[in-house]
Amino acid sequence: MANRKGRPFLEIFALALKEDFRFPTFELFAFLFCVGTFVFANFGSTMFYSTSVTSNTAYNVTSSALSTVLFIFMILVFKNIAYGLGSDLEKGIVQTYLSYPLKRRSILSAKLLSALGVSLMLFLGVQILSLYILAPDVVIPQFGTVLLTYAASLCYPLLIAGIILLVTLILRRGGSALVLGIVLYFVLEIIQNLITPIATATQLSESGTLSLQIMSLFSPNFALARYYQFYGQTGIHVWVPTASGVIACIGAGYVIVASIFVVAYFYVSRRLSL
Amino acid sequence: MALIVAKSLEKSYGNVLAVDGLSLTLKEGSVTGLIGPNGAGKTTTIKMILGLLRPDRGNLEIFGQDPWDNSEIRALIGVVHEKPFFPSHQETLDYLERVCRIFGMPDSRAAEVLEMVNLEDARDRQIKALSAGMLQKFAIAHALIHRPRLVIADEMTSNLDPQARSSLLDIILQLHRDEKVTFLLSSHILPELSRVCDSVAIINRGRVWASGRLTELYEKYAAGMVRVSTDKPSELSAEIAKLPYVNKVESDIRGVSVKIQQENEEKLYGDAPKLAKKVNARILGIEAGSSSIEELYRLAVGEKRGGE
Repeated sequence: MANRKGRPFLEIFALALKEDFRFPTFELFAFLFCVGTFVFANFGSTMFYSTSVTSNTAYNVTSSALSTVLFIFMILVFKNIAYGLGSDLEKGIVQTYLSYPLKRRSILSAKLLSALGVSLMLFLGVQILSLYILAPDVVIPQFGTVLLTYAASLCYPLLIAGIILLVTLILRRGGSALVLGIVLYFVLEIIQNLITPIATATQLSESGTLSLQIMSLFSPNFALARYYQFYGQTGIHVWVPTASGVIACIGAGYVIVASIFVVAYFYVSRRLSL
Repeated sequence: MALIVAKSLEKSYGNVLAVDGLSLTLKEGSVTGLIGPNGAGKTTTIKMILGLLRPDRGNLEIFGQDPWDNSEIRALIGVVHEKPFFPSHQETLDYLERVCRIFGMPDSRAAEVLEMVNLEDARDRQIKALSAGMLQKFAIAHALIHRPRLVIADEMTSNLDPQARSSLLDIILQLHRDEKVTFLLSSHILPELSRVCDSVAIINRGRVWASGRLTELYEKYAAGMVRVSTDKPSELSAEIAKLPYVNKVESDIRGVSVKIQQENEEKLYGDAPKLAKKVNARILGIEAGSSSIEELYRLAVGEKRGGE
């Protein structure tokens, strides 16, 4: 029996892909990503208010194109993790995969590559291509800012996806994990919206600043938004991060996300009983 | 060579001790039946052997290695789970061809195993469209696809009709004879096991109560057993129980099982017809010893309980 290295992984990945993106899932989400980008991208600032394209312009354009589409992307990822992996665990399909000659971590990697990796590629591919078609004069000169905006915005959905993954693995119930993830998403959204007025109301108190900084670790886009919102403005603002501060927040955010995924891998490799 | 060596395995789910000091050895080339009542610990034992559960205590080696997350030994084992599940939207042949590629087998092996279990007509059907019996057959084909050295099956005939069961048992016998495949079969259908097994391990309350080759176990537990087949078992058993040299009597719908000292066998052969005449029963046959795993299971479990 000639066992070709890497082949089992690719076959499990292909199976996961076929299940996660069964017709018309892929087509539907690609369509929604396209429509969402074209409909919600806002070029007002570029066309009417700016004489030259700055990083601020690029941030505003990218953020406007991202807003609704990011939520659709989250639905796709949560569905793939909670229902894809969750139902595989619940029904015993993972048990079947565990009779094949590949490591537990490879099975998780194959599932995640399909659930998260392919969704991410679809999302970024459609978004960046659409933005390029819509505003090449913004995207090309400020491509770094565009990527930074994506990096900052995606950290938060990935964090919740990681938490959903962990809960799915521990409970082995995709439905419960999905509900928990959605609740968590809305709770964090509400906190994000409440935290700025509270911090402003308490003015420059240390706890106000600290709460904004903590929120920026979990959602680095929060820090990036504050950076562009108040950049170059005079007056007193509660915690306006510097460029390096924003980068640090993005880095720290991804470290938190990576830690959750590492815990998930560790759990699958060492503890997951079926 | 021992393919499975389990020593003092323990596994609990919360406060429930599912496996309690289980020790088991499975020799290469054997067909071993794992028998026991519901909740005896059979499935938990099988899951530990397959590396799906980690034992709390004890030592377990499959092909000389720890089975937990061991992809090497998975290539040598074929598995049929009690409730088989596969990605439901895949077509049977297409899925098995993928499994062939996973194990490095030629794609043509997929059609071969489907034919082996008489599922060649369902090759283009989606897995979710298979009936329970067909799914079971598919699971068996799936387990045999890579020509494993050891096949572990948990209740593999539970959803099959009598004809399919019989042909499956023929497949097991053929694989055992021609390819020297070792089998560990857990089942509640004991007459089936007696057709294919050369060894059994009787599990109860998370422990192996008796294990070994069937012939040795019959000798150990069924010595001094006489089976009297009759049309009135309960009446005859009441009379036989009164005989002074009888140790134990049990009746079922087809007859009476009598435990005596072996030297009294001849006496019983003489007394049984007289007692049958007394209760107006017909004796349909008398035979010494036991030839069914069911009987052996009852004897072994009964003796162990008596000893506790």
